[in-house]
Amino acid sequence: MSIWRQRVADPVFAGLIVALLLAVAACFPLRLVLERSVFSHIVVVDITRSMNVEDYRRGARAVSRLEFVRQSLIGAVADLPCGSAVGVGVFTEREPALLFEPIETCAGFSAISAAIEQLDWRMAWAADSLIAAGLHNTLDLLGRGDADVIFVTDGHEAPPLNPRYRPDFSDLRGKVRGLIVGVGGLSLSPIPKYDESGRRSGVYGEDEVPQRSSFGLSELPPEQIEGYHARNAPFGSERAGGTEHLSQLKEGYLRQLAEAAGLGYHRLESPEGLGRALTAPALARRQRIATDVRWIPAALALAVLMAVYLRVLLPRPGFSTSN
Amino acid sequence: MTDWALDTPYLLWGLPLMLLPLWRLPLRPAPCSWHALLPVDTASRAVDLSLRLAGAGAILALLLGSAGLHRREYTVERTGYGAHMVLLLDRSRSMDDSFAGRTPTGGEESKSAAAERLLSGFVSSGRNDLVGVAAFSTSPLFVLPLTDNKAAVLAAVHAMKLPGLAQTHVSKGLAMALSYFGDDSSAGSRIVLLVSDGAAEVDPDSELKLRRWFKEKGIRLYWIFLRTAGSHGIFETPDNPEDDNAQARPERYLHLFFSSLGIPYRAYEAEDADALERAIADVDREEQRPLRYAERVPRRDLQAFCYLAAALALAWLVAAKGMEVAR
Repeated sequence: MSIWRQRVADPVFAGLIVALLLAVAACFPLRLVLERSVFSHIVVVDITRSMNVEDYRRGARAVSRLEFVRQSLIGAVADLPCGSAVGVGVFTEREPALLFEPIETCAGFSAISAAIEQLDWRMAWAADSLIAAGLHNTLDLLGRGDADVIFVTDGHEAPPLNPRYRPDFSDLRGKVRGLIVGVGGLSLSPIPKYDESGRRSGVYGEDEVPQRSSFGLSELPPEQIEGYHARNAPFGSERAGGTEHLSQLKEGYLRQLAEAAGLGYHRLESPEGLGRALTAPALARRQRIATDVRWIPAALALAVLMAVYLRVLLPRPGFSTSN
Repeated sequence: MTDWALDTPYLLWGLPLMLLPLWRLPLRPAPCSWHALLPVDTASRAVDLSLRLAGAGAILALLLGSAGLHRREYTVERTGYGAHMVLLLDRSRSMDDSFAGRTPTGGEESKSAAAERLLSGFVSSGRNDLVGVAAFSTSPLFVLPLTDNKAAVLAAVHAMKLPGLAQTHVSKGLAMALSYFGDDSSAGSRIVLLVSDGAAEVDPDSELKLRRWFKEKGIRLYWIFLRTAGSHGIFETPDNPEDDNAQARPERYLHLFFSSLGIPYRAYEAEDADALERAIADVDREEQRPLRYAERVPRRDLQAFCYLAAALALAWLVAAKGMEVAR
């Protein structure tokens, strides 16, 4: 047997050679094109008054829906894998305002989180909160691009929606992808009132908000409406009472809207939950990227090297010190 | 050393494996009858030690490499040309009309689309500005803080293409734009670039506040007024003195207000996209002052060095093993 054969037959020597070759291989660029999941979201946040309701808790402190949304969103954006993109918009009345188109979340995190931090009800340019119409316009304007629309709202229509005039989502169904995030508690809570400079001044009372829709024609036939008058009182003369000055998460309604528009639904309960909802496989897009895989030969080299040293520890067959 | 980092630090749990090569050499022990008979040989000791260290070093290098050793991204201060600039964009509904004041048809471009296109070009040119974006209609909208992330600023400028919101409430927008700048006015030149197609009366309360802030914060103000055909210009004096008031001519009065601030101020009236382009080019030329800015030095991957070190250490082990006396 030649000396080389003999050497290579020695598992320790062979192992060292293999480890060396693998380490040398790892010195060269080695890339594999892999697919990974990234996300592209346009988050549209309802900033109407009912979002000021303080029915979330952080620690012992009651926080408003909007504040909880801000915190949760920043956490969720931080959890998105690099290469994902997030755009932010706000919603009030029936129109969304896009602040910026999706920005890559790793390089742009500080900018995105600063913008989310500043979301405030005082940005609202109108006081109405026509959720269904707003959702329809949002999907129509923003949902046709590459991004999924994440519509964050408590579902509180103000003034109440006349059931006769519900927006029709059939034109958008299947063309848009996204999620409605329901915000708020399930029990009724008072809506705080703020003055122009942002100071809090009590809560809305029963007679300070419209308790029923007075738009268009009533859904009821005139003979069923108390005190009906076609011109002066198309919705009847009875004083409308109700709970519209209190707010709760209208979950059933939002689920219904999500169903109609072909969107998913998620109830905001924790920042982690929102993070999971925003990285749901249904919203993932595949992105092909070249990934550095030099760690593979390096790890193999390490494994072989460890095997060599463990082999050294074993008692050698045929070796004896008396020789 | 604080700027070095690992992608997967938990691989460092493998570090105790380094003890193995320190303890045992991967060499066949050469038999000898009695150790005490061997003379103390410094060279042999050194080789012995070097082989043990080579084994341990190879393991360390492979672990660090596969854990993704890198030097973190860091920033260096450089001097370039640019400014700290807040783009204050009008998002009112009238911005969606063409310069002729109609809904754009065919080849016509709306005012917002023209502003979006030309501002995008301005932002992506080679300037080193720190740009923030604010928008306003009836209420001010905080869009982006001052940032050097050009992609983000472009994303915010592109959002102008979407339909506008409501009215033009300029004083709230100005207050929002000014709030982007801290009180320390030493850091480079500070610009507010207001792009709007209309104006509104500035109420006396905000007027006082704005006057103070513009002065205190050392702001340079540019106003690009997108003038719709047939509307009143900002430099025009009305023929009828009865019209010469802030309600009838808010644009003219806003211009007078800005001129009276005692700060560097320039107004441009753009009646079409070309005029807008010239105005933006003029701002670009004017604002070529040196600015200290932070440049990002991207992270540097150090895996290759780790693997090279491991390969050298292993080569030394292989050489030693290869020189083993065969029996």
